[in-house]
Amino acid sequence: MKTARRDLAELADEFVIGLCDPEEQREVEERLMKEPELAVLVELARQRFAALDAATPREAVPDSLWHRVEKRLDAVEESLVAPEAKESHAEAPVDLRAEREKRSRSLVWTAAASLAASLVLAIALVWNLMTTIEPQVIAVLVNDAGQPVAMIEGAENNATEVTLLGETDVPAGTILQLWTKPDPDGPPVSLGIFDEPKQTVLQAAGLPVPKPDQLYEITFEQPGGSPTGLPTGPILGKGLAREPR
Amino acid sequence: MPESASEVNHAALLSACARKDRTALRQILELEGPKMLGIAKRMLRRQDLAEDALQDALVLIWRKASQFDPAKGSGRAWIYAVLRNRTLNMLRDGARETATDDDRLERQIDGSDLNDAWEMLGHDSELRRCLGRLETEKRSAVLMSYIWGYTHGEIAGRLSAPLGTVKAWVRRGLSSLRECMS
Repeated sequence: MKTARRDLAELADEFVIGLCDPEEQREVEERLMKEPELAVLVELARQRFAALDAATPREAVPDSLWHRVEKRLDAVEESLVAPEAKESHAEAPVDLRAEREKRSRSLVWTAAASLAASLVLAIALVWNLMTTIEPQVIAVLVNDAGQPVAMIEGAENNATEVTLLGETDVPAGTILQLWTKPDPDGPPVSLGIFDEPKQTVLQAAGLPVPKPDQLYEITFEQPGGSPTGLPTGPILGKGLAREPR
Repeated sequence: MPESASEVNHAALLSACARKDRTALRQILELEGPKMLGIAKRMLRRQDLAEDALQDALVLIWRKASQFDPAKGSGRAWIYAVLRNRTLNMLRDGARETATDDDRLERQIDGSDLNDAWEMLGHDSELRRCLGRLETEKRSAVLMSYIWGYTHGEIAGRLSAPLGTVKAWVRRGLSSLRECMS
């Protein structure tokens, strides 16, 4: 092994800054799996240099990039659907609804594998339209004039269905972003962005189950969403959640 | 946003990716995409190649998200490591050779993004302070590797120094940084 006699701290640093040749790089990647000491040194080196990543000037990401990524995810999903479903069974607590959804989806994908890409897309679209939310809370957002502008239905798993009410004028060059405050004293958290004034389901991760009296708010933001991670644009409307009865 | 809040966020997004939640991947793109693209472009010098690198990195993040262990490191650092890894592999596979002569010429006469990168670290940055203590050639060698993705050989060419000397500069530079920042 080429890297066997190297000083570990030095090897970790050179791996992180990118100075390992391809053979050394492969070796380090393998060794990381079984040598905790090396893994810790690599993590420390990453943290030492992370400030350089954070200080990199931003480059505008073209909107089309996400669509290109999604096409490739479709391909990954199609080829890996069986083994990956097995893996997640073992690890995650079983969520029956998600499981059913996954199974139906893998059926859809298997059936569609031989069909044209456009047909696959059509099936996915229909699937999305058929997915409905069992709301834990409902909020009606109102604008400054007190007019209702949107209805928010928040599910236990943080899927949120947004239905815009009446005519919504989205200024050119902006998109809509939905926010909520899971902690009344904490900062607003983004639930997702959408750009078409119609019914949309947004899926956020890692948030607590929505509660009554939780604040929801929609703002106009630049494409891609607020650059700061907090609402920056004008407010379309806001409102507090209530439990459906 | 406080550091801890942003860390929780990235780890949660990665675990959502592991559960095949596409909106989580999209959020990673929205949060980090512009910087990730900036990093890839500084190495690859071409917009189209940099976009390919970002795209590949997102697909890799999606596929490998279940391997990320929040107990072992920061989610944000993991995301950037995947991007840097992919970009470096593209470079080593010869992507830089296909960059136009103009790009390379520009790089030849203009090393300013190297200085910018260091100066953008901010006056209170520990990394900046410690890089500032290094002799110029050691600092340049480390930064050329991290920021431009240069190999030892490319650094030697750029600094007109023998390969062995460059290797020693890098090693001493890295070891000084480890001491200074520990």
